[in-house]
Amino acid sequence: MKSQGQERKYVPELPQKEAEELRNSAKTMSMKVMADNIQRMKKTAPNRPEAMQYFDDISNFFGQREKEIRAEKEKGKKVIGYFCTFAPIELILAADAIPVRVSSGFYDTSKLGDRIVPVEVCPVIRSTIGAKMVGLSPYLELSDAIISTLTCDGMTKLSEIMSDYKPILTMSPPRVKDSAQSLHLWSEEIKAVKAQIEEVTGNKITSKKLRAAIETMQKATKAFRRLQDLRKGNPVIMGRDAMLVNQTSMWDDIKRWTEKTEALCDELEKRVQQKAWACPPDTPRVLVTGTPMFWPDNWKVPTLIEEATPQGVLVADELCSSDRILYDPVGIDEWTMDDMLKGISERYLMASTCPCFTSKDGNEDRINWLLNKTKEFKVNGVIYYVVRGCMLYAMEYSRVKKALDRINIPVYYLDTEYTREDVGQLKTRVEAFLEMLTARVDF
Amino acid sequence: MGIQTVKVVILKDGTVASRSKAFSGFEPTKAAEQAFEEALKNAKIPKKDVVQILATGSGMEMAPYANGTVSMMGADAKAGVFLFPSARTVIDIGAEEARAVKCDERGFMMDFVVNERCAAGAGTFIEAMARALEVKLEDMGPLSLKAERASPINASCVIFGESDVVTLIHRQESKPEIARAVFDAMADRVSSMVHRLGINLEVVLAGGVAKDVGFIESLKRNLGINLLIPEYPEYAGALGAALTAANRVKAAK
Repeated sequence: MKSQGQERKYVPELPQKEAEELRNSAKTMSMKVMADNIQRMKKTAPNRPEAMQYFDDISNFFGQREKEIRAEKEKGKKVIGYFCTFAPIELILAADAIPVRVSSGFYDTSKLGDRIVPVEVCPVIRSTIGAKMVGLSPYLELSDAIISTLTCDGMTKLSEIMSDYKPILTMSPPRVKDSAQSLHLWSEEIKAVKAQIEEVTGNKITSKKLRAAIETMQKATKAFRRLQDLRKGNPVIMGRDAMLVNQTSMWDDIKRWTEKTEALCDELEKRVQQKAWACPPDTPRVLVTGTPMFWPDNWKVPTLIEEATPQGVLVADELCSSDRILYDPVGIDEWTMDDMLKGISERYLMASTCPCFTSKDGNEDRINWLLNKTKEFKVNGVIYYVVRGCMLYAMEYSRVKKALDRINIPVYYLDTEYTREDVGQLKTRVEAFLEMLTARVDF
Repeated sequence: MGIQTVKVVILKDGTVASRSKAFSGFEPTKAAEQAFEEALKNAKIPKKDVVQILATGSGMEMAPYANGTVSMMGADAKAGVFLFPSARTVIDIGAEEARAVKCDERGFMMDFVVNERCAAGAGTFIEAMARALEVKLEDMGPLSLKAERASPINASCVIFGESDVVTLIHRQESKPEIARAVFDAMADRVSSMVHRLGINLEVVLAGGVAKDVGFIESLKRNLGINLLIPEYPEYAGALGAALTAANRVKAAK
């Protein structure tokens, strides 16, 4: 599907037959991986909460949710996709549109992306390009426009490449987060994208609708935090299950997601009272920080952690694909349009821990967030996860390591790619790290 | 359960009762069974008297008879401190993999680094280059010690190593100098890996490659420190697994 009927600037035409074959094989593989991941999660925690069934269903990219979105589109609703968590969800909802995150978690399509960009480029980006080339991702295909925040070099050029296919609404965050002009710049970006969203959807964003959208998201944040808080004590839910719940918020109907997450939390609270733990309370507690891990193929590292000998449990993460997504609510003083837009601008800029930012003290927000989480969740060890090619996360490692060394928390740098073949090597490292943590816990 | 050889160590009353090894080949489980039988015979210990067996190494999932596993890094740390109480860093270079681990005085791991991606930092590199030089593997070390300098070789990738040798011979480089270059290149790789980890003295060098005088010399020169080398360095992993097994038995009581 060409954008505005123009000739593609970047992507060569893929013969339809080849595209179909590649899509079918990638789709078959993805369905296998999704089913396999869920089966393994069930195996690790035989008493897995019943409320997880809903999230298992929604996690299927080619299932119920795709059908729902398609049906909504037929009624005239618009779908607005986004790559980074800077896209203001509240504005999309207020325009009666459907927000979906369309960053790719498919390993197989990263090889296709290699045809357009070098292998040194971030695999998430290569995978997204490849997925679009063969039309693999239903949510990406259904998007009427994509909000692309130009956070890193890869994202900047990805926007250009994707403009071969879809209308791209770009947003430029300032590199320096806390200068006098940065919030002003970002507020202008928010206002501009608001106008663009209104244009794409044909709907005006009124104060009333925006208020309702903000309140919807505030409720979602409440449920989101409630789930994370339940992971602070003894493990009542395995990390992969919590991560799946977190991730589905990126494409599910957010009101329904909120309800189902509250129901899950109700079930988990009962388990806390019954002391029905998902794994032994002395299991080493791990936090993962770094580049985002997208469903389904990027369950690789969490799976290794929770299926290792000795077993570890993922109690928290600092990933924009999981514990960071809905963490921060929009704070509003006055429900006027100006104030609401101000609140949205602040929330999306100031709360971010993304390494695309620097500030007077570097990415201090991320360091503080990590230190807090490490204490709150009684973390025993941190895995610093970087996909090869990500300069921003890779370069922050030494600072994070120093900060964690100071509070005597072991950190292990794990770098990987969009490939299944390095599982053996990762297993060696993860198991040695968990063994190290176990000895410390015992002692 | 190493990629190339399987090693077995039997501990009795806190000391090594026997050791044995066998080539892993295509049937590492069988090789391990045979090595185990031999070790039992050497120690004159009946099989039923062995109360705990732990496996380690890249093939540890294929070990026979094991009650459990322990990571190679954990095993190396335990073995290092057992053999040399002042050890705080253990470097283990095997046939296809190199590791380094930092530990405390009890042999508990504090940090580790692994490199199985670069073959030029492991034993098969020496084998490949020995073949290219038409020298016996065990002669590479002593040969390299005769050289006063190392030939300039393309140290970026071992894949080019063998063709490098041909070029060097044509340039009239001597075999001792080429051999020394091989060990210097390996030492460079290992040294980068170890510096990523950081060195806490004393440093133990273990693994099959630690038997090679040429490599030992190159690594000592490169790191600029003294290295503690056990008498049977290739058994460090197996020894560490046995020590861990003994600890688990003690803890269970």
